[in-house]
Amino acid sequence: MEKEFHHHPSRMPDNSAMKQQKLPAHQLHFSARVVLTIFFATGVFCFCMGVILILSAQSIQEIEINYTYICENCAKLRENAFNFDQKCTCSVPFYLQENMEGDVYMYYKLYGFYQNHYRYVLSRSNNQLVGKDIMDVEDCAPFKVSQNKTPIAPCGAIANSMFNDTIILSYTLKSSVHIQVPMLKTELTWWTDKYVKFQNPSLINLSDRFVGTEKPPYWQAPIYELDTSDPGNNGFLNDDFIVWMRTAAFPTFKKLYRRLYRVQYFMDGLPAGNYSFNISYNFPVTRIKGEKSVVLSTLTWSGGSSLFLGLAYTVTGAFLWLASFALMAIHMTMKKKKLSYRR
Amino acid sequence: MGANDVSMIKAAHIGVGISGQEGMQAMLNSDFAFSQFCYLQRLLLVHGRWSYNRMCKFLSYFFYKNFVFTLVHFWYAFFNGFSAQAVYDTWFITCYNLIYTSLPVLGLSLFEQDVNETWSLHFPELYIPGQHNLYFNKKEFVKCLIHGIYSSFVLFFVPMGTIYNSERSDGKDISDIQTFCLIVQTSLIWMVTVQIALKTTYWTMISHFFIWGSLGFYFCILFFLYSDGLCLMFPSIFQFLGVARNTMNQSQIWLSLILSVILCVIPAFGYQFLQPLVWPVNVDKVFDRINHCKTRPPQVRVRTKLKHPSLRRSAYAFSHKQGFGALITSGKTTKTKPNKKNSFPVKK
Repeated sequence: MEKEFHHHPSRMPDNSAMKQQKLPAHQLHFSARVVLTIFFATGVFCFCMGVILILSAQSIQEIEINYTYICENCAKLRENAFNFDQKCTCSVPFYLQENMEGDVYMYYKLYGFYQNHYRYVLSRSNNQLVGKDIMDVEDCAPFKVSQNKTPIAPCGAIANSMFNDTIILSYTLKSSVHIQVPMLKTELTWWTDKYVKFQNPSLINLSDRFVGTEKPPYWQAPIYELDTSDPGNNGFLNDDFIVWMRTAAFPTFKKLYRRLYRVQYFMDGLPAGNYSFNISYNFPVTRIKGEKSVVLSTLTWSGGSSLFLGLAYTVTGAFLWLASFALMAIHMTMKKKKLSYRR
Repeated sequence: MGANDVSMIKAAHIGVGISGQEGMQAMLNSDFAFSQFCYLQRLLLVHGRWSYNRMCKFLSYFFYKNFVFTLVHFWYAFFNGFSAQAVYDTWFITCYNLIYTSLPVLGLSLFEQDVNETWSLHFPELYIPGQHNLYFNKKEFVKCLIHGIYSSFVLFFVPMGTIYNSERSDGKDISDIQTFCLIVQTSLIWMVTVQIALKTTYWTMISHFFIWGSLGFYFCILFFLYSDGLCLMFPSIFQFLGVARNTMNQSQIWLSLILSVILCVIPAFGYQFLQPLVWPVNVDKVFDRINHCKTRPPQVRVRTKLKHPSLRRSAYAFSHKQGFGALITSGKTTKTKPNKKNSFPVKK
């Protein structure tokens, strides 16, 4: 037998800790005390967080005006696509009860517009938008080329359906004196979007660089005429364009349109009083059974005025607290039963 | 062992061969082969039991993580016009099973031990769950599915509620699809990591490295895939430029992540605590005794009652199909002999 052992090599595994399953380790076991402490502490944390979030969401002031059907004749006009070149303006007055203090942001909000549709989200050309290759329209079906086969810039369904209402807020200073509230149209986008992801093909003579391309079919003016007064806001760098190109996740969304410029009468925000929106109604939502509105809102550290997170945290916290008491009760009863059996 | 045992070994679910003086044939046809009868005890009670335990944990965890991953799209379908828009970045879908969650599962399957080998040998009753198919059966699979459906519900609706009508603290956009994808992805990775951390009872250094390392690796890959350099080189392939940087500094994102993880993990955690108390199985009582013994100072070795001592046999074949296991372990097929120390104790 011993001779055999010399001839056949041993296939015994090594005597190392890993191969013999003897690695140094910590055995995790949650005792009742640990479990109950975790439940209790998490409950307290969630409840407090929830209360803080609810308080901060309540401190926001927000006002929303749905103007889809208020501007009746404009809505009816836009139902027919042949009226695209007819302008239609509409004035929506409203009364602000309290001062809106701090920074005020103006958003447009759309209902029932599915920017998250699969084919819609795909229909863009990032190569074009970064200024690398204006003629690259590969992914932009069905808005790749115009009727005379010239490539569209910017191509794709997202760019084509850009929101084109203009909204101007005016304030009634005295009985017949209306002033336009000063608003800023820059710094509406993420820094990385404006300075990295979207770049114009050249800084000067923008219209020359776009020779050989055409504007999207639903647009009134080509891309290099979006804001001729400011070259940093023209072409692909236009803030409204970039904001629109960042597709929303849900069919109801709001996008930043303007920020309050805090000068003159509006140093501390928007004072209470009579205001009105003068809207140039272009975007046809009634055909897709959607709606649109304008939102004026202040902000806090936790974002918008949505109460969801605060409520969810509070409810979770309360539930965990109750659960920890219930578990403690069950544990005590079971422990008593065990002890009584042992006796 | 003789060649007449070969057919028995082949027919069994697990055939064990003991190399000896009767030739190599039985050994070559068996699943396990060793040289001494006494090693059979360790094969069954230690390694076999651990293997069953690891397999069941692996299966239930693997099904769970894939249910959560996929079922989120079911909830999203109601909000994207049923157009099959994915809730994740395509690169995340590629890397999820391959890179982000493969190592922790591997660690669990290789190193997990519910009790160490000494206790396994002391308490052979711990082998019973394997015989009765307790740790992974249709009921456990359904529990896994329900947990997965509930987790996917939380994983979708908590981020949705957070960003639905919300903006960043400086007024800019947060309710776009790329941010939503990022939040859901990150919450998912955290959730499955915490879940496997709770499932792992035997924490070696390698387990720590695999689990926390995978999480850290996810964040590294995330920042790499969403970096300026890569996205500018291939703009049509890497489209999420800047999303991580612009979203991760918002407190509401982290709060939503913490809430999703708490809501998903706490029910499982509570159930894990409650189940041995309220619906105990026989094995739970053994675990209680083990924990009791561990906390007390070492005493005289606890000897279990021997009812039917077995005979030294030349071959063993085990089957977990109905009928054979009961027949073999009942001792009806062996001759009775007086009590022997250190022999394989069989309980009915």
